[in-house]
Amino acid sequence: MGLQTEFLPLSVDALPAFAADRKREGWRFVQLLAVRTDAGCDLVYSFMKDGLLENHVVEGVTKETPVPSITDQFLAAFVFENEAHDLFGIDIRDIAIDFGGKFYQLAQSEPMTIISPAQKAARDKAAKAAAAKAAKERSAQGEAAGAGGTAGGAEDLEAKLSGMDPEKAAKVRAAMEAKAKKEAAAKQAAVDEKVAALDPEKAAKVKAALAAKAAREKAKREQDGAPEGADGAEAAAQPADADGAASPAQGAPAAVEGEGE
Amino acid sequence: MGKATVIPFGPQHPVLPEPLHLDLVVEDETVIEAVPQIGFVHRGLEKLVETRDYNQFIYVAERICGICAFGHSMGYAETVERLMGVEIPRRAEYLRVIWHELSRVHSHILWMGLAADAFGYESLFMHCWRLRERVLDIFEKTTGGRVIFSVVKVGGVVRDIDAAQMAEIKRVLEGIKEDYRQICDAFLKDSSVKNRTVGVGHISHEDALAKSMVGPFARASNVNWDVRMLGNGGYGELSDFQPVLDTQGDCYARVKVRALEVLQSIEIIEEMMAKIPAGDIAVPVKGSPAAGAQAANVVEQPRGECYYYARGNGTKYLERMRMRTPTSQNLAGMATALAGCDLADVNMIVLTIDPCISCTER
Amino acid sequence: MTYATKSPWVIHYDGSSCNGCDIEVLAALCPGYDVERFGIINTGNPKHADVFLVTGSVNEQNIGVVQEIYNQMVEPKVVVACGICACSAGIFHDCYNVIGGVDKAIPVDVYAPGCAVRPEAIIDAVVQAIGILDEKSRALAAQKKGA
Repeated sequence: MGLQTEFLPLSVDALPAFAADRKREGWRFVQLLAVRTDAGCDLVYSFMKDGLLENHVVEGVTKETPVPSITDQFLAAFVFENEAHDLFGIDIRDIAIDFGGKFYQLAQSEPMTIISPAQKAARDKAAKAAAAKAAKERSAQGEAAGAGGTAGGAEDLEAKLSGMDPEKAAKVRAAMEAKAKKEAAAKQAAVDEKVAALDPEKAAKVKAALAAKAAREKAKREQDGAPEGADGAEAAAQPADADGAASPAQGAPAAVEGEGE
Repeated sequence: MGKATVIPFGPQHPVLPEPLHLDLVVEDETVIEAVPQIGFVHRGLEKLVETRDYNQFIYVAERICGICAFGHSMGYAETVERLMGVEIPRRAEYLRVIWHELSRVHSHILWMGLAADAFGYESLFMHCWRLRERVLDIFEKTTGGRVIFSVVKVGGVVRDIDAAQMAEIKRVLEGIKEDYRQICDAFLKDSSVKNRTVGVGHISHEDALAKSMVGPFARASNVNWDVRMLGNGGYGELSDFQPVLDTQGDCYARVKVRALEVLQSIEIIEEMMAKIPAGDIAVPVKGSPAAGAQAANVVEQPRGECYYYARGNGTKYLERMRMRTPTSQNLAGMATALAGCDLADVNMIVLTIDPCISCTER
Repeated sequence: MTYATKSPWVIHYDGSSCNGCDIEVLAALCPGYDVERFGIINTGNPKHADVFLVTGSVNEQNIGVVQEIYNQMVEPKVVVACGICACSAGIFHDCYNVIGGVDKAIPVDVYAPGCAVRPEAIIDAVVQAIGILDEKSRALAAQKKGA
C-alpha cells in the first residue's frame, strides 16, 4: 500500500523511443518539470502505472541541446513543454500546440534561470557555512588522528610555522610578506586613484593625512618588532608636508573611504 | 455555408471566477476549434523557494489556490516529509484526511453552484452556496479561517480537533446530508437540467486515456483512477475505497460524479472521526534536506491528481519545488471537448473540467 | 454610514489572485451575507457597473485587462481592492511576475485587506465605496452646472 516512487536516469536521445514505449504499454503520463542546476537543467518526466510512479531524470540539458517533444505520444505534455521553454529557455522541438514563447507573458524572460543577488548571497553564505562545518569536522577528525589541522586563525598559523623546520618557515613567511606587500600596493593604488579624482586642495590634505597615518603605523610596527616591508611602499608614495596638515585633515581618510562605499 | 469567425472568450466573463482566455473559432454557432491562452495568473511563486525556507514556504503553497488551499499545504508538507524521511504521528494523518475531505465537500458544492449558474439556474446556485457556508463554519471553528487555514506544517498539524468539536462536525454533516439530497435531486433528476447537460461535451474513454486526463473529469469517462486508491497517509486506514465512476462521459456524468463524491467524502469523514487514535499531532523536524535528495508525491485534490516534486540542496531553502495541478493536465482534454459544441454550451463545458487556473499557473 | 441614492452594481475581476478572495466576494453575494438586499447585483458588463471589485496581485499579462475594464466603466466609478494581494501584493510581493498591488495599474478608492478578505470586510468596504461614489457623483453634477 502507499505510493512507490523511483528516480531513474534517461538520456535525451532515448526520449522518443522511450515515450512510444510507455504509450504502448499503457503507462499514464503524469508531468514534465525542469530544475535548474549548475550544469544546465534537469528534465524530469513522470509516468505512472498501477501505483508505481516513475520519474525519469534527463540531466545536463543546456539551451543548445534540442529536446524532442513527446506531444506526438502524449498531447497533454504541450502545457509543460511550453512552460519549460518560457521559464527555463529549454529548446523543445515540434510541440503539437506551440505558443512560440508567448505561453506566459512574463516580466523577465527565462526567470527561473536567474538568481537574484540577494538569493545568490544567501546561497553562498549557506554554502560557506556548510563548507566550514565540514572543514571543522575534518579537522576534528584530523586532530584526533594526530596529523596537522586545516588553516584556522593567525595563532594557528604561527603555531604551525614554529612547528615547521626553520628554512621552510622562513620561506612561508617571505611568501606571506610578499602577498601582504602586493595587497598593500594594490590598496594604495586604489586609494591613489580615488585621491586623483578629488580636487587638488582636498587631494593634498588627504595625502598628508595618509602620510601621517603611515608614519604612525610604521612607528607602532617597529615597536612591535614585526619586519618592515608592507608600509615601505606607502611611505615612498607620499609627498611631504605631513606636520602642518596633519590635524585638520584627520577626517579626510575616512571621507575617502566613505566616498568609496 | 458559414464562414469561420474567431470569438474571444474571457478573461473577464461572469461565469468564470478566474481569467482564462479562449479563442473560439466558430462557423455559424458551432465551435470548430478552441485555442486556450493562459498566463493571467502566473505569479512565479515556485521561485519563492529561494527566499522562503522549507517551513515558511508552506504559507506560499497554501495560497497557490484558495479553493484547494488545504490540499496544497498537505501535499507540500507530505513531499517535504518524504524528502527528509520524517514520519508524522497517526493522529496527524487522520486529522489531515478529515480536513482534506471537508475541503473536497466544500469545493464540489462550490463547483455545483457555479455549474448551476452556468446553465442559468441561479436560485440553485444560491442554495448550494448557502449549504457550503455550513462547511465553512466548521473550518472556522476548527482552524480559525474560512478559506486559508494554515493548519498544516512539516511534521504534522498545528491544531487538534477535540471530541466535542468532532461531535459538532458529525451533527452538522448529518444536517448537510439531508439538504444536500434535495439539491442532488434538482441536479440529477430535473428534466430542464438534463436537457442542458446530457450529451454535451462528450469525451470517450479512449480519448480520456490518450489525453492523460485526471480527476472527476476523467472518472466521468470511466477512467478508473483516483490517488486515494493507493492508500497514502491516512487514506491507508480506510476500510474500503472505490472511486466513483460513470460511463457516459458528458457534462451530466461529470455533475453526477462530483455529486456522489460529496456523499462519499462525508462517509469518509465519519469513518475517520470514529476511528481516530489518540496521540501527538506533530513531531519536531530538525535539520535541512540533503543536497541532491529528490522526492515526488501525488495527492487527490478535488479537481484530480496533483503531483509534487521537491529537491534539496543542503541548505534550509529547497532547491526546487514543483506542483503539477490537475487542470494543467486537463487542458488538452478541454480543448477536445470544446471542438464541435454549440457556442452557448462553451460556458458549461469549460466549467465542467472544474478549471482552477491559479493552480495551473502558480 | 452614508445613504446611497441608487443601488450600486458591482463588477468583479480576478487580477491574478489565488481565488480565495474571489470566492469570498461571491460568498458576499450569496445567502449568509447577502448584499443583494442592498440592491447590489453582480454584472459582467463594465458599462453597467459602478463599483469595480478587484482581487489579486496583478501580473504582467493582466495589467492591460484591468486597465481596459476600468477605462470602459463610466464615471462616476469607484475601485475597491479586495484582499491584501490587491492592496500590496501580500506574500507575493517579491515574485518576478507581479507588479505589486492593483494601485500600480489603476487608481484605488478603498482598500480591504485580509487573506482571504472576509465577507464582512467586503461589505464594509463596499459601503465606504458607496459613500465615495456619492461624493463623486455630486462633484460631477456640480462640475456640469458650473461648466
